[in-house]
Amino acid sequence: MIKGYANRILEVDLAARTFSFQPLDDEIARLYIGGKGYGTRLLYDTTKPGIDALGPENPLIFATGPLNGSLAPQSNRFAVVCKSPLTGGIGNAACGGSFALGLKKAGLDVLVIRNQSPTPLRLEVDGDAGTVAFVDATELWGRGTSATQEALGKSGYHAVIGPAGENQVLYAGIVSQERIAGRTGVGAVMGSKRLKAITVKGTAKLEMEDEEKFKAYTKWLRQHFRAHPVLGEKLRRYGTMGIVNTTNGRNILPTHNFRFGHHPHAMQLSGEYLEDNGLVGVKSSCIHCPVACGRDVMVDGARVKGPEYETVALLGTNLDIVDIKQVSEWNQLADDLGMDTISLGVTLGFAMELQELGMLETDLAFGKPEGISAMIRDIAFRRGLGDDLAQGVKRLSEKYGGWSFAMHVKGLELSAYDPRGSYAQGVEYATTNRGGCHVQGASMYMESTGPLTINPQSLRLKAELPVVQQNLACALNAMVLCMFSTYGIIPAFVHRMDPNSFLYRMLVGAFERSGPMYRWLLGLKVRPLLWFEQWLTYITGQTFTSGHLQEIGARIFNLERMYNLREGLTGQDDTLPPRMLHEPTFKHLHSGVPLDSLLPRYYQIRGWDAQGVPLPRTLKKLQVRV
Amino acid sequence: MSITVELTYDLAKLLGTRHLELEGAATVGDALRLTRVHFAEQQADFDRLTRVTALAVNGVLINHRNLWATPLAPGDRVSFLKAAAGG
Ligand code: SF4
Repeated sequence: MIKGYANRILEVDLAARTFSFQPLDDEIARLYIGGKGYGTRLLYDTTKPGIDALGPENPLIFATGPLNGSLAPQSNRFAVVCKSPLTGGIGNAACGGSFALGLKKAGLDVLVIRNQSPTPLRLEVDGDAGTVAFVDATELWGRGTSATQEALGKSGYHAVIGPAGENQVLYAGIVSQERIAGRTGVGAVMGSKRLKAITVKGTAKLEMEDEEKFKAYTKWLRQHFRAHPVLGEKLRRYGTMGIVNTTNGRNILPTHNFRFGHHPHAMQLSGEYLEDNGLVGVKSSCIHCPVACGRDVMVDGARVKGPEYETVALLGTNLDIVDIKQVSEWNQLADDLGMDTISLGVTLGFAMELQELGMLETDLAFGKPEGISAMIRDIAFRRGLGDDLAQGVKRLSEKYGGWSFAMHVKGLELSAYDPRGSYAQGVEYATTNRGGCHVQGASMYMESTGPLTINPQSLRLKAELPVVQQNLACALNAMVLCMFSTYGIIPAFVHRMDPNSFLYRMLVGAFERSGPMYRWLLGLKVRPLLWFEQWLTYITGQTFTSGHLQEIGARIFNLERMYNLREGLTGQDDTLPPRMLHEPTFKHLHSGVPLDSLLPRYYQIRGWDAQGVPLPRTLKKLQVRV
Repeated sequence: MSITVELTYDLAKLLGTRHLELEGAATVGDALRLTRVHFAEQQADFDRLTRVTALAVNGVLINHRNLWATPLAPGDRVSFLKAAAGG
C-alpha cells in the first residue's frame, strides 16, 4: 500500500441503495496518482462508449490525491470526473472548499456514485463506522447552495448542488463551502441522479512516509509563499481580480462577447479598485491555504461573496457592464443557484449579440443590467428563454445561428483570456480535452500576464508551451493541488526586473528559442525540486521529479484524449470559434490565432498522427491501456 | 496627432485620472516623456511606480517591438502594465 492514500474506494448505487468499500488499485495510483487521473481511468474502464451523460450509466466520481488531507498549502481540493453533458466528452472539474479534507477524514480516496435515485436524496457517509445513510432530501430540493449547506449543519463536510443542478442546467456545478466545481456540467450529472448533497465525516489520519521532513519543509515553504510577490502579495491582496488591468492593457479582456479585448472602464472591476473603495470584506481561503485569494464584497452594506477574475470579465466587460456591485450580486446569485459563471457569462454575451443582430428576441442587451438577475433565475429553473440559455452557447447557436461568434471549444464556453493576444493559450483552448478552459495549462501566464512573458504573437514555443503546461496541470489535478501553486515557480527576483531592460529581454529571448530544450529539461528525472514534487516524495515515499510529473500528466492527457475519441470527438474539434481565427483585434494583424500553423506541430510533439489520434507507440510508451 | 495613455491603477490614483490624451508623441519614448511631464510634482513616485512596469502599444509590449523607438500612429493606446496573476 502506498502512503498518502486511505486505500479505500466507496461505491454507492443510488437505485439499489447499496454501497461497498473496495481497496484502491495501487497500479492505477502509481500510474495516475489520484484525483482527475484516477477518476478518468475509472470512467474509461467502467463505462460503455456512447452512454447518455445525464442517464444512469454515467458515474459521478469524486477523487482525491495523496496531498489532500495534509497541511500542504493549496492542497485541499477534490476532482469530480464523469462524462460531460455539455461537451459529450470527458467532464471534470476541481474544487477547493472543505470536501476534499472530509473525504480523506472519512478514509476515502475515491467516491463513485452510480445510477439514479427516483426521488431527491442525500448521502451521509460515516467513514469511521463504514456506513452510508440514504436520506430523503425532498425538503432540501429547490434550495440554494448556501441554504442547503446551512441546513446540513456543521457536522461533516458537504458537497451540494443548487436548483441549476437539480434542473440539469448543462453548466451546473457542485459546491463545497463557497467554492464550486464549476466546469463541464458536473452539477447537472449530480442533479440527474437526484442527489442533492453528500456529507462525509470521519477521523482518519493521513499516513506519510516521512512526516518529519514533510512538516519541516512545509513550514519553511509557508514562509516562502508569504514572501513571494504573487502568492504572498498580489494574489493575497487583490485576489484574482488583480489581473483585470493587465489583461485589459494586453488587449485580451473579453469585451462585447469577445468582439474586443479592451474596455476603457475595466479598471472599475479591478482588485485595486475594490480595495481602494472599501469594498473588500473578509478574505477567505480554501482549508490550509495561506494565500486566501477569496474575498467578500460589500454591496450596500451587506457582505456578499466576491467574484473571481473570470466572473468580473465574463459577467462584466463581456456584457459591457463595469459595475462591480452588480457583478458581485450576479456572482452570488449564480453560486447560490449552483452554476458556472464562466459558461453563464459567455452564454449571456452570446444571447446579447444575437439580440443586437436581430437574431433573437429578448430584452437582454449589452450594457444593460436590467433583466439579467431574472434571466439567471430563469436559466436555473429552465423557464422561457432561460431553458435555451441553460444549454450553453453551442446548442444556442445551433438553434438561433451565430456559430461564428459562439465562444466555445468542444461545447465548453471559453474562459476570459482572448487567445488572439495569447497564441499558446489558443492552442491550449483548442486541444484541451474538456474544451475551452484556462486552468488546464494556463499558458497565458507565460505569454501575456506573468512576470516573464514571451512574445504572444510569434510562433515560437507556441506548440511546446501548451504541451508542457497541460501535462503539468493534469499532474496537479491528480494530486489534487490548486493551479495557482504554479505562480510560485517564477522566483521573486524575476518579478523585480525591469521588463525593458537588456537582461530581461535576453532571458525572454532565450526562453522563446528554447523549443525542444525546454521540454527536454522539464522531462529530466533528476531529483525533486519544486514543492509539490517534494511533498509527493515525502508523503508517498516514491520519488517524483519534474520528469515524472510530465510523464504522468501526459499519460492522463492521452487517456482523456482516448476517452474523447471513443465518445465520437475528433481532431476536427480541436479548433477555436471562427471569431478567434479570423477577426483581428490587434491593429498590426489582419487575422486571429494562426491555429493551422501550430496544430500540426502540437500533434507531432504529442506523438499523435495528423488527425490528432495518439499513435500506438505513444500510448505504449506512456503505458496508457485502451 | 493624438494618442491615449492608459495608466496603471497606482499611477492613475496619483494623478487622479486613468487616461491621458497626448498630442505630438511620435514614438513611445515621446509618450513616456510627455507622460512624465504630467507627474512633474511627483517624479520620485512616478519613477518608483514605473520601475517594473511594462509598456504596450495597442496591447503589444514594446519589448517585442522597438522599445522606446516604437512608432505611434493617431489613436494609438499606450498602456503602462504590471505583471499579475489570476484565474
Ligand atoms: S490560492 Fe485561492 S483557490 Fe487556490 S487553494 Fe488558495 S484560496 Fe483556494
